[in-house]
Amino acid sequence: MTIEQIQGDEYAIEYDRAAHAVRLSGTVRLQTSDDYAPITALLQRAHDEAAGGPLSLDFRRLQFLNSSGISTVSRFVINARKQDQVALTVLGNRDIYWQQKSLGNLQKLWPKVQIEIV
Amino acid sequence: MSQIQTYGAWEEPGAAPALSHQWMALDAGQLVAHWRRCSLSADFWARYAALFVPSPAPPGRLARQELEHVLSYLLNELFENCAKFSGGSIGAVRFAAWFRPDSLDFAFTNHIAPESQPAFARFIEELLDGDPEELYFRRLEESAETGAKGSGLGYLTMIKDYGIRFGFRFEPVADDSVAVTVQAHVHLEENQG
Repeated sequence: MTIEQIQGDEYAIEYDRAAHAVRLSGTVRLQTSDDYAPITALLQRAHDEAAGGPLSLDFRRLQFLNSSGISTVSRFVINARKQDQVALTVLGNRDIYWQQKSLGNLQKLWPKVQIEIV
Repeated sequence: MSQIQTYGAWEEPGAAPALSHQWMALDAGQLVAHWRRCSLSADFWARYAALFVPSPAPPGRLARQELEHVLSYLLNELFENCAKFSGGSIGAVRFAAWFRPDSLDFAFTNHIAPESQPAFARFIEELLDGDPEELYFRRLEESAETGAKGSGLGYLTMIKDYGIRFGFRFEPVADDSVAVTVQAHVHLEENQG
């Protein structure tokens, strides 16, 4: 089992290859799109390795994401829609208010996305 | 120098009585150099302001924790904008908050070079005149297509997902500097959207 991790000062992003899951935690409020590039690359790699099967994005421990981060995740979902190769599930946390309010936007970008807010 | 111009839900700060008023002075260059100060300032003021509402919240009002989340997102976006979009000879940033019985009102003032004003004004007009839902998804699709940053997404999220209203004001303060104030009006009722 391999787990690949991007560790920041206030966040961690973990790609669990065996589980086909990318888990985000903490507060992700990076400055520039260059700062987001490693996250975009990790998501893309997880996507490509999950092709033909399921992939989950787990936001349940993600307290905050700024608009640059929302944009990064949204572009990933649009690109996944265009390729149409994975069954994408997004996991959210009902106690984290922005997730209740904004995670549904990802499904509007790609109606095949499953959103599970628990 | 041109005149003062206002857009959207601009309200003269002293027009309505406030229960309390706070402010803080910062510097745009320092926010860029120490980026996490944006997030730290947002979290501080979000918690500070949210203590203003009783817990548990009265029926129909946002719960304290929800309000804190909304404010942290909102204020972080606006501190980040002050850092990212300052220019010209003046780097001063001013944050101000007014707590009122039914709303929390915030104002962020930073400074831009005069030549940046027309593009910013066009952006504001598009933001205020368009359908935020349509604009949000169009911007994202364009950004996925072109690799552009999807500008305005922060404002669109705040308008569309949280029902926050914005006002804007440009005031020339020197030959090479225009003060830009962004007001954000947060209603304390629960937004069913």
